Amino acid sequence: MHCHIVITVVFWSICVDSQKIRGISLSYKRFYRERQSFLCIDGSKLMSFDHVNDDYCDCSDGSDEPGTAACPNGRFYCTNLGYRPHYIPSSRVNDGICDCCDASDEDNNSHTPCRNTCRNLGQRERADVQSQMRTLDEGLRLKQQIIQESVLIWQEKQAQLLDLQRVADDLQTQLDNLRQQEAKKNEEVEKLREAELEARETAENNQNRTKSPLNIFQELDSNRDGSITLDEVQAKLIPIPDEGRGLSEDEAVVLLGGAHQVDLSRFEETLWTSLKMGDRVMIKERLRGVPSSVAEDDTYIKAAMSAAEKVAADMKKVEDSYETVYMEIRDLREKLATDYGEHREFLLLHNQCFQLKVNEYIYELCPFNQVTQTGTSGAEMSLGKWGSWTGTPENRYCQMKYEGGEPCWQGPSRNTVVRLICGTETALRSVKEPSKCQYVMELQTPVACQQAQRKQGVHSEL
Amino acid sequence: MASFIERVCLHLLLVLSVSQSITQAVDRSNFKTCEQSAFCSRQRSLKPGQSSYRALLDTLELSNSRLTLQLLNNNNKVRLLLELYRLQGNMTRVKINELKPIKPRYEVPDVLITDPPTEPMSVMAQDEHGVVLSLGGENRRLFVNAQPFRLDIMEGPKVLLTMNSRGLLAFEHLRIRKDTISHKITSTVGSMWDKIKNVFSSSKDQTDTEEDGKTEDMEKNNEDEASDGAEEKKEKEADQPGMWEETFKSHSDSKPNGPSSISLDFSLPGVEHVYGLPEHADSLRLRNTDGGDPYRLYNLDVFQYELSNPMALYGAVPVLISHNTRRTMGLFWLNAAETWVDVSYGQGSDEASQTNVRWMSESGIIDVFIMMGPQPADVFTQYASLTGTQSFPPLSTLAYHQSRWNYNDQEDVSTVDQGFDEHDIPYDFIWLDIEHTDGKRYFTWDKNNFPQPKEMLQNLMNKRRKMVTIVDPHIKVDSSYKIHNEIRSRGYYVKNKDGGDYEGWCWPGNAGYPDFTNPEMRSWWASMFAYDQYEGSMKNLYTWNDMNEPSVFNGPEVTMHKDALHGQWEHRDVHNIYGLYVQMATAEGLMQRSGGMERPFVLARAFFAGSQRYGAVWTGDNAAEWGHLKASIPMCLSLGLVGISFCGADVGGFFKTPSAELLVRWYQAGAYQPFFRAHAHMDTPRREPWLFGPDNTALIREAIRQRYTLLPYWYQQFYHAHRTGQPVMRPLWVEYPEEIATFSIDDEYLIGRDLLVHPVTDEGSTGLMAYLPGNGEVWYDVHTFQRHDGAQNLHIGVTMSTIPVFQRGGSIICRKNRVRRSSSCMENDPYTLYVALDPLGNAEGELYIDDGHTFKYETDKQFIHRRLSFTSNTLSSSDLSPDTSFPTVSWVEKVVILGAQKPSAVTLTSDGRETSVEFEFDPDTAVLTLRKPDVKAAVNWTLQLH
Repeated sequence: MHCHIVITVVFWSICVDSQKIRGISLSYKRFYRERQSFLCIDGSKLMSFDHVNDDYCDCSDGSDEPGTAACPNGRFYCTNLGYRPHYIPSSRVNDGICDCCDASDEDNNSHTPCRNTCRNLGQRERADVQSQMRTLDEGLRLKQQIIQESVLIWQEKQAQLLDLQRVADDLQTQLDNLRQQEAKKNEEVEKLREAELEARETAENNQNRTKSPLNIFQELDSNRDGSITLDEVQAKLIPIPDEGRGLSEDEAVVLLGGAHQVDLSRFEETLWTSLKMGDRVMIKERLRGVPSSVAEDDTYIKAAMSAAEKVAADMKKVEDSYETVYMEIRDLREKLATDYGEHREFLLLHNQCFQLKVNEYIYELCPFNQVTQTGTSGAEMSLGKWGSWTGTPENRYCQMKYEGGEPCWQGPSRNTVVRLICGTETALRSVKEPSKCQYVMELQTPVACQQAQRKQGVHSEL
Repeated sequence: MASFIERVCLHLLLVLSVSQSITQAVDRSNFKTCEQSAFCSRQRSLKPGQSSYRALLDTLELSNSRLTLQLLNNNNKVRLLLELYRLQGNMTRVKINELKPIKPRYEVPDVLITDPPTEPMSVMAQDEHGVVLSLGGENRRLFVNAQPFRLDIMEGPKVLLTMNSRGLLAFEHLRIRKDTISHKITSTVGSMWDKIKNVFSSSKDQTDTEEDGKTEDMEKNNEDEASDGAEEKKEKEADQPGMWEETFKSHSDSKPNGPSSISLDFSLPGVEHVYGLPEHADSLRLRNTDGGDPYRLYNLDVFQYELSNPMALYGAVPVLISHNTRRTMGLFWLNAAETWVDVSYGQGSDEASQTNVRWMSESGIIDVFIMMGPQPADVFTQYASLTGTQSFPPLSTLAYHQSRWNYNDQEDVSTVDQGFDEHDIPYDFIWLDIEHTDGKRYFTWDKNNFPQPKEMLQNLMNKRRKMVTIVDPHIKVDSSYKIHNEIRSRGYYVKNKDGGDYEGWCWPGNAGYPDFTNPEMRSWWASMFAYDQYEGSMKNLYTWNDMNEPSVFNGPEVTMHKDALHGQWEHRDVHNIYGLYVQMATAEGLMQRSGGMERPFVLARAFFAGSQRYGAVWTGDNAAEWGHLKASIPMCLSLGLVGISFCGADVGGFFKTPSAELLVRWYQAGAYQPFFRAHAHMDTPRREPWLFGPDNTALIREAIRQRYTLLPYWYQQFYHAHRTGQPVMRPLWVEYPEEIATFSIDDEYLIGRDLLVHPVTDEGSTGLMAYLPGNGEVWYDVHTFQRHDGAQNLHIGVTMSTIPVFQRGGSIICRKNRVRRSSSCMENDPYTLYVALDPLGNAEGELYIDDGHTFKYETDKQFIHRRLSFTSNTLSSSDLSPDTSFPTVSWVEKVVILGAQKPSAVTLTSDGRETSVEFEFDPDTAVLTLRKPDVKAAVNWTLQLH
């Protein structure tokens, strides 16, 4: 059966050959049908038919010499029965190199006898195509899964984003509250501080006879019981001009108008008058100078301040949390804003890294992030950071570009082009440096498999 | 990719040793000026005046063809021996050496192909003032003037050339360094300085000391008693530092032999144009060097060389050609040491124009050949009779070469190879630079990137293509490297001054330099190219010798120390010929591996007089700049004038990145230069022809295709150059020696006699002026067949596809118009004859065919050489070499006659049969096309137009 077919084919081709114009396809046969004269296919010239394939170029379009090398712009049709037919430039006819697998381009009187290898090639090609188709099928199946997974992950990420945003909102609210509290506390502290300052001013005014009796009274009334005692007088006042010594009890009694304690009104009539005069006694602190911090000594202010600090600390905590969450949101948003392909099928590659050792170097590709090279010394060098998709107009997702890596000596920065090829697993397949510091990688992944490749495959199936 | 670390090291090396900065041009401070070169400075400080030499006529001896005569230096009483020879072919040789040197002085071997045959001379007259010798011919005489010594070569009443006319003959005799001050001073002028020096330094460790005026004066006073004023003056000149030691930058040159330089001047009356002296990145016509540095000849690896500059470059050919409307002459100064040449255009005593030339060399002897022409072609013949002709290259090496530093691995090679096929661009050779080796160990392959070199070579062979790998003459010092071990154990390395193996830094790091001046070494080196020695080599693998100046990254001026030793000779003596020996040994190796059958192909960067016998040269590491594209023309023209026809420049420029326009223009220019190779520095982006968009790809494809169609013509030109020594690429004046308008043209040139090329070398050019020479001649545009008159400046409109090329009316050029993947694929293809009629309706040309790659043309007389002639409306092919033959199936497919009239019929007569031939005539262009005469290229035939 098999033999029979071969014999038939051979017989058939011999029959055809006897009248066949060398180097043309079936579809062009019509131009060479008439056996008397020949019109160049571009219509430029009419000639006797024996000028066809006579090894002299007559037509400017090369159409009179489809089977010889005579025309510079001619083409020769390899029928390649059992394999794929194709055209070769006429210059490859009878050049001593076998181009058509059916050996039709060489007269075989040249030094390299050509054999018909179409059957083998066809078989191999079919096997290759089949295997490619299997890979493609499997790749597409995996890609589908990946897309589904990606959808889930995408949704997850979206949900995560929402959650994070909610958390962020909460934190924001807390932060707002705390900010208000802090503001309030600070206000209180501020108020107290102002009051204190005012008090001090009053005291000073007192010294300058501008302070009110109430202020001084309060100042002297250390225990704030509404009356000034001898002790309080002795503690706060000193005699003038003999400031070195303390005030005796007797002197104090005299100052208080003979009493052991006075209230505000008695104070105004007695001690206040002496203080106003300023010639017998003065308030101790005036002499010692202004205390370093009003607040320190003031328990009110102290309390208010520690309350304010607490609020501030709380706020810092919340702020930190907010910052963290905010960063996460930003990262996530950035990630979600990246172009992961039509169906977000490349999403899964993000956060993964792929390595390949080439000679003494280890190359690492972290898609959507960066490419690095590590030498034997362990020094890592950047070959580029994620730039953009740079594929073809038909499929922009077949190539990525990483840019702005380590600068080259006397040159621009290193960069890397990553070509994506269809395969059943995801792995780095090759790394090359065709020009210095310009790297080209091949990343195999099911995600790169395209339905369109099926059509190409089918077309090439014989 | 594999070698980042190496590259960093390499770059460090470059940075450290060549001291390059990011600046774009040469770092001049790395290279000596005349002032910094002690001998040049000494020699040049000697001003024109009366010569201190006189000829001692009573010592004259004349044998049949050799005259000897002693010359006496009136100042120091040292005697020189002058030898004069009348050589066959209208040449005179003048040799001057010390009469009794204390040790031999270097005389350059291996440059002359034979001891030049002499012719008899006779004394015509003699008196106490001089001697007149007959040089035969048309009343050619040589006058020897005794005091001052001077030589005049005359023809009839005219002086053609005078030697020592300005009294600049200076010959530093060898001397012994004196050890003590008490030594009795003799007539030795130069020893003064030594003695003084030795007072201050031990005899063991002698260094240049500062001049000590007192001691010097004291010494001088002693001496002055016996000397006149002139001598005192001379002494002062001689007593300069740098005679026994010289330092340049951090390098010191010990000079155990002391001063040894030589100098001589020549006057050329009536001459306003001199050429030659390659290699310089300068105009074709040499410039006046007054007030600047002389042209320097000293083979150097100059990083990013500058244009329009007399600085030394990679190669040196000490030949100068003079030309005026009446006579072309040549001066060949056979000396391999560092040489400087001053050119001074001016006026002679009679106020007529005169060119003075002065040669200065650091060591050796004066050995000068005066080639008296009178026609340009005669000078080329004369020079070829001395140093040989261009080697006849394999045909494929005239095709297109694709190179880059570096094609990274086998896959890269294969991808580029396929790229050419995919874009239907032919190429014959792909090149691998240093990265293909295992750590810059030449003769090896990088195991990772080139694991299967034979497989790669076989793949190329399957497409009838070839490869060149680099083999540099510096050898990595590595005890696990076979080549190194062999050279070391055989003692073949150049030695340092202390006798150890000389080592320097180059690409591999520490490296030894094989002594290529040693014939045993060369023979061993050649044997390393045997297929079983050079592993992975095959017969389609050829060789590139780079860095053969030699380049030594950490050496003085990036080359070898002058006191390194080549056997008994110092590197100083042999420097300029070292590169020639490298190429010679390599070419010998490629020949031997095929049992002497195959013609070799070796490209070298350094060269010397005679290098034409061993292969091709290129203009080194140029840059992707318009100026460098322009410079490629005078640089290759200058080389062609001195015998080296196989010349080219890196297409695209080596350093930097060319714009697409520059790249296209460079391809268009390179396609019409002898050696046609694209090459690029590693730091530049890829630039294979298809990487610049389809339009540029098409332009480059077309330029390369034009080259391929013309390969039969190129091959015939090289055959001619090989046989006769005529240059392939010629200045216009060579063919139009009486047309003064052509004398300074160096932006256009001729290929052979018949093609005139004016490449476009300006950015954004829309037009250019080309000079078409030849009063009464016509030229045809090879693309449009439009006819133009000669002796006119023609404006040519230019588009990106324009390559202005013209065929001379009166010539017949054979092309192969079926351009294929490689030249080998075209071997059996038919020819198209382009017959360009002169105004009288005549034309002639030649066709040469052989196997394209073996020596059988020579050994077995296997070639076809035919004469094609068109006269009286008859085109005929006749045999120029009836006793040779070659089996070829090639035939004539078409004849295109330019400037024709319409015939009524055309008949072909061949083999006794007469057939009618179809034809077409285009009255607009006057082009007659004969359709398919269908005659074998090898037979006699006649085409008659009726």
